[in-house]
Amino acid sequence: MITLGIDIGSLTAKGVLLKDNSILEKHLIQVGYNSKKAGDKLLAELLEKASIDRTEIARIVATGYGRNSIDFADKAVSEIICHGKGIHFLLPDTRTIIDIGGQDSKVIILNAKGTVVNFVMNDKCAAGTGRFLDVMARAMETEIQYFGELSLQSKNPAEISSVCTVFAESEIVSLVAKGENREDITSGIHLSIGRRIYSMVRRVGMVEPVAMSGGVALNIGVIDALEKLLKTEIKTSPLAQYGGALGAALLAVNE
Amino acid sequence: MKIENSLALFNKIASDPYDYIKTLKEKTNKKIIGSTCTYTPEEIVLAAGAHPFRISGQAQNLSAADAHIQAYGCSMVRCMLEDGLSGDLNFLDGVVFPHSCDSIQRLSDIWRLNIPSLHFDILLPVKLDSQLSQNYFAKVIKRFKSDIEEALDTSISDKDISEAIHLMNQIRTALGQLYTLRAANPALIKGADMAAIVKASMVMDKEELLVELNKLITLLSKIEKKNDARKRILISGSICSHPDIYQIIENKDAVVVWDDLCSGSRYFEGLISETENPYIAISERFTNRFVCPAKHIRADFQLDNMKRLIADHRIEAVLFIFVKFCEPFSFDYPDIKNELEKMNMPYLMVEMDQHNRIDEQLRTRIDTLLEIMQF
Repeated sequence: MITLGIDIGSLTAKGVLLKDNSILEKHLIQVGYNSKKAGDKLLAELLEKASIDRTEIARIVATGYGRNSIDFADKAVSEIICHGKGIHFLLPDTRTIIDIGGQDSKVIILNAKGTVVNFVMNDKCAAGTGRFLDVMARAMETEIQYFGELSLQSKNPAEISSVCTVFAESEIVSLVAKGENREDITSGIHLSIGRRIYSMVRRVGMVEPVAMSGGVALNIGVIDALEKLLKTEIKTSPLAQYGGALGAALLAVNE
Repeated sequence: MKIENSLALFNKIASDPYDYIKTLKEKTNKKIIGSTCTYTPEEIVLAAGAHPFRISGQAQNLSAADAHIQAYGCSMVRCMLEDGLSGDLNFLDGVVFPHSCDSIQRLSDIWRLNIPSLHFDILLPVKLDSQLSQNYFAKVIKRFKSDIEEALDTSISDKDISEAIHLMNQIRTALGQLYTLRAANPALIKGADMAAIVKASMVMDKEELLVELNKLITLLSKIEKKNDARKRILISGSICSHPDIYQIIENKDAVVVWDDLCSGSRYFEGLISETENPYIAISERFTNRFVCPAKHIRADFQLDNMKRLIADHRIEAVLFIFVKFCEPFSFDYPDIKNELEKMNMPYLMVEMDQHNRIDEQLRTRIDTLLEIMQF
């Protein structure tokens, strides 16, 4: 049986085709303005990539912010439940998931069976989200994909005290003006996002082992900062960004 | 009269309370006394021949208020201030400020300096569980009585107060009956309608309100109980000004069956003794009912109350709705949350501004709480 999980996030849309409990194909596109159109495009491109026909898909579950706009899905499930399922599939021992997405960050606690039992989500502002990193990378004139690596080259991380994304950016401008080097400021930025996440993990209560999902899991600098702050190893998977879509495809199997 | 007509009446008043009050004032020529908190002894306002009503803060965009209170302050207080500064509350003759939390105390100061109206401060005791504070509280209420007598140039007799207490007791009993009927059979009325009934109750002429509540109770009592497998949710917090939240929950095979909100059960919880000294009796209701976290009563009071609500109403999950930056609720939350975890009770805490729209992030969190209970 083939199922499809489709995750319409705030920045990217991800799709995973699952056949007999293994990933048949995956695909990622930018969402843009219209999440419904993004869903249609993702489906068409994914079918082409996997060389299958729409009729071969038995069931579709949609997740992410745009989940309710996907009219071809059989069911919509929140991304927290789906990330839980997806990460449990990729990294079965995981009990705490840190998921940093484009406009929010979440900490999800799983029980031993991989079922979500609790979660917290940032709710006051964009501090501690992928957007924070985007803004900061631009301020540092660094491509986002090299931002994490750059931070690891620092020997003496700069102090970034502002929580607010906008104020943190002006703090960085002051550090640049003072002549602090790029690596140290970048490392300070990664520690700053790490501290935001640290407080969320503490609030919900960390259970080891810890894994990271979502696009920011690809950033080695954030993982390094979180490992230092939480004093535990943070596992991740190259498929971490597809965690939500994968979980949705897994849920579609049992529906 | 049909149930739909009754609900339409309450919903209309809840969605445009100021319009109702303006019409009421024209019709009755009564003095209109606004209240900023459920600690206002409405009985005294009624006994003075005036009309008490809760200022809900209808503003959806804040600008005038933000010149006085920072954006990271209580949005309930900021919305009330915005309405006052914008002139939307010009029909008011006076405003009562019970000193329950810091934000309302500062609201009182800003109001006094910027908005012309009669001004009543009620200096509540901080602790509510000692005889000393009880004696003080009764004196504060008596002082409020003489303040309002002087301001409105009237005199309040013991009989006036007894009658007002009797009327408010009947209203509280009726609202309690409605909640109980609905908790037993949640399909009777939607959660958003129930919230509108309580909100309208804080606005309407009390005599008219009692008649309308009793009519609705008679209609609902005739409806047979249906099997309802939906998950039973308790909302805990100060105010829930977003009817959409009830719908989000109902879309997910769950239903809010009770709350401990100022905009809900806290308005009608507890009756006032009709045989005791009225000032002592009014103060006793305020100290015996589910107390606002801004006031102190023995440490385990909040926990005990939450456990009682869970048991009485067969609650299956708790949704905490806090107004952002409302510290009294946030300080109590960790202990209550730990206790719920020990009970294996699913829960979620969301913080929101009163004037903000419901966004996808909030919907995702509420959906997830309810999905956790399904998967």
